Amino acid sequence: MSQARQYELVYIVSPDATEQDVADLHAQVEANVARYGGGMVKSENWGRRKLAYRIGKHREGTYVLEVFTGTGELTKELDRRLKVSDHVIRHLCIRVDEELRLAERTKARREADQQKRIARGLSAGGAKQRAEDEGGDDDQADRAEVS
Amino acid sequence: MADERQGRGPSGPRGRGSARGGEKGGPRRGMFRRRKVCRFCADKIDYIDYKDAKMLLPFVPERAKILPRRISGVCAMHQRKLQTAIMRARLLALLPYSTD
Repeated sequence: MSQARQYELVYIVSPDATEQDVADLHAQVEANVARYGGGMVKSENWGRRKLAYRIGKHREGTYVLEVFTGTGELTKELDRRLKVSDHVIRHLCIRVDEELRLAERTKARREADQQKRIARGLSAGGAKQRAEDEGGDDDQADRAEVS
Repeated sequence: MADERQGRGPSGPRGRGSARGGEKGGPRRGMFRRRKVCRFCADKIDYIDYKDAKMLLPFVPERAKILPRRISGVCAMHQRKLQTAIMRARLLALLPYSTD
């Protein structure tokens, strides 16, 4: 809970909207993030894409991705505003910091393992090698129990 | 297709493969069961991104249903993550819910 929560927001703007509308929406999101004491991390416009299925009467839409830090209050407010907005046909806001941190930790642990293996003078093999090693250990343990 | 069938995990049904092999002298299935490796573990992908529709596409064939892991060989942990990623991608119309 010590670190700030990071969120990813993707919204699809209707193809009828002008570029000005898209810019306005982006500005609105940014203003809200600032108002609730969050910070923008990244903002991407994926441009116009075909939808995988029809949403309402639309077959394509403009995708915008915003990554920001903030609080739950902020996402609630953004959610409400995007729901009300006429131009936004779909939006999704999810928290990503925990998953990203988990991924980073796994990566760090894997690298540490690799280092340890090298330090022990073993080949820098992957999981397969390790599984074989462990298998061997198990066999030995079994035999010890029998005798 | 045949390849995928052969590659059932070690816990897969055994009886079927060996019975077949004995009967007709065809390829002995039970012998060469290739162990499938989770693609995400092998490629060391820790975070399955829902925004990357191209990466998710092989896991939603034809009817856009999620490929079961007994066929794809994905490990349980990554299948769970894959599932949420696909569901998110579907919501954003990056992937279809169904195709007719």
